[in-house]
Amino acid sequence: MLKDITLGQYFPGNSFIHKLDPRTKILAVIVYITVIFLVKSMIGYAVIGAFTVLCILSSRIPFKFVLKGLKPIMVFIVITAVFNLFLTDGRVLAKWGFLTITYEGVRLAVFMVLRLFFLVLGTSILTLTTSPIALTDGIEYLLSPLKKIGVPAHELAMMMTIALRFVPTLLEETDKIIKAQTARGADFESGNLMRRAKAMIPILIPLFISAFRRADDLAVAMECRLYRGGENRTRLRELKMAKRDVFGWLTLLVLIGLIVFTNILYGRIHI
Amino acid sequence: MIKLTDVSYTYMTGGPFEKTAVSDINLTLNSGDFIGLMGHTGSGKSTLIQMIAGIIKPTSGTIEIDGQILHSKECNMRKMRFKTGLVMQYPEYQLFEETVFKDIAFGPSNMQLSEDDIKRRVHFAADMVGLSPDILAKSPFELSGGQKRRVAIAGVLAMEPQLLILDEPTAGLDPAGRDEILCRIKDMHRRLGITVILVSHSMEDIANITNKIVVMNRGRLAMYDKTSEVFKKSEMLKEMGLAVPQITEICDKLRKAGLPLPEGIYTVERAKAELEKILKR
Repeated sequence: MLKDITLGQYFPGNSFIHKLDPRTKILAVIVYITVIFLVKSMIGYAVIGAFTVLCILSSRIPFKFVLKGLKPIMVFIVITAVFNLFLTDGRVLAKWGFLTITYEGVRLAVFMVLRLFFLVLGTSILTLTTSPIALTDGIEYLLSPLKKIGVPAHELAMMMTIALRFVPTLLEETDKIIKAQTARGADFESGNLMRRAKAMIPILIPLFISAFRRADDLAVAMECRLYRGGENRTRLRELKMAKRDVFGWLTLLVLIGLIVFTNILYGRIHI
Repeated sequence: MIKLTDVSYTYMTGGPFEKTAVSDINLTLNSGDFIGLMGHTGSGKSTLIQMIAGIIKPTSGTIEIDGQILHSKECNMRKMRFKTGLVMQYPEYQLFEETVFKDIAFGPSNMQLSEDDIKRRVHFAADMVGLSPDILAKSPFELSGGQKRRVAIAGVLAMEPQLLILDEPTAGLDPAGRDEILCRIKDMHRRLGITVILVSHSMEDIANITNKIVVMNRGRLAMYDKTSEVFKKSEMLKEMGLAVPQITEICDKLRKAGLPLPEGIYTVERAKAELEKILKR
């Protein structure tokens, strides 16, 4: 059950996407997300969809595995769709009592769903193909120009590494605690909402305690090895841009070009 | 009686980390036995006992406990779980209540027993693991590690299971705490007549209290026999990355040096008796 969450879980591989420089991938995802929110037509989303499918195919990660990442946010997507569908003003398409569906509402709902959908897929591809260490190295590098204005780039990157590092650990821990409490006859499935919320207490309290304990242990272990910030620290792996990164950027430029093109061509026509 | 037929378990089926933890186990455990479960790290011990306790469902194969097949339509899993008590590794991390009493009472209250019954069971379980009654009002988080462990074990015992499974109950305890816990478990087995499965890495622990041993190796059943028979095969155990009790090792060496000692000695008392026999001759 808990193992189904893929967000933030690395899927080891040796594909083109895996080998891209993490900086390329992070910037690409930022560009990709920006583009998602700028697309104005369904044809534009078709282009995005094709690009996303291409990325997944070239990463050689099974589709099923990538789509699993969508499961946890499904509720969120549905709620967004419903709100957009019923709460947007415009030309009325249908009306039941106080519920009205407008043309603009339908359009906005479809767009929002697609945006969220691609947002999660895009970030999933990033985290599935990039090991947490490479990811934070990239983030640190990209943030380092901001050090001059007092942004603690290294510390932020370190915090992110640790957070990412502990996601699987805490999931495993949760799994263990659930098993232990199930063995004591805890019932998580039946009863009303209130009862089910109460049934979570035997899981949450041990989980919080163990998270704090782990944080404390880690802090002590780091202190013991005289860890102190990013000043003058050397790296085991230096990041290097390669030819394939240039290729990656060119592909992304083509994507941007196509989106601008579809926006100009179809953006004003309401389909 | 617990009967496992062709039981297998695979983690993360279909993913990149797919791993078969347990494969094709056929095993029949008799009621009332004190069974030791050994195997090196990653041999599938924990997965096996979690399946027997009904916490995880075998990927294939069936587990039958007292005539009921686990996870079948006719089987009420919650009721079955009350019959089998599972103490997981480092069970003290599952404590959550404000007081020790409430924590031990968690299991029995899930069984919908009366207040009086719960109270009786909590006191009984606390007594069984050697917790003094004044601790019951304390918060479990202000206790020492060994005491927490005992509270957690009491929490399972309070359900009065007919089958008690303990996954390395002595890991991380000091020698005194270890002996105390083992002594208590042995006492429970004797007094309540329940079936006990004890997972342990310590050969001494297993040798001293079990009457049967299951050995797992790479997810498969390697041996299942009486304790004395298993320790006769010390070479085989060593090949699997396991050890034999120190006293067995010493006796094996003495035998190789020419002393007429029988095979399969695993307690100091027995070794002493056998050596005395030889000396008197």
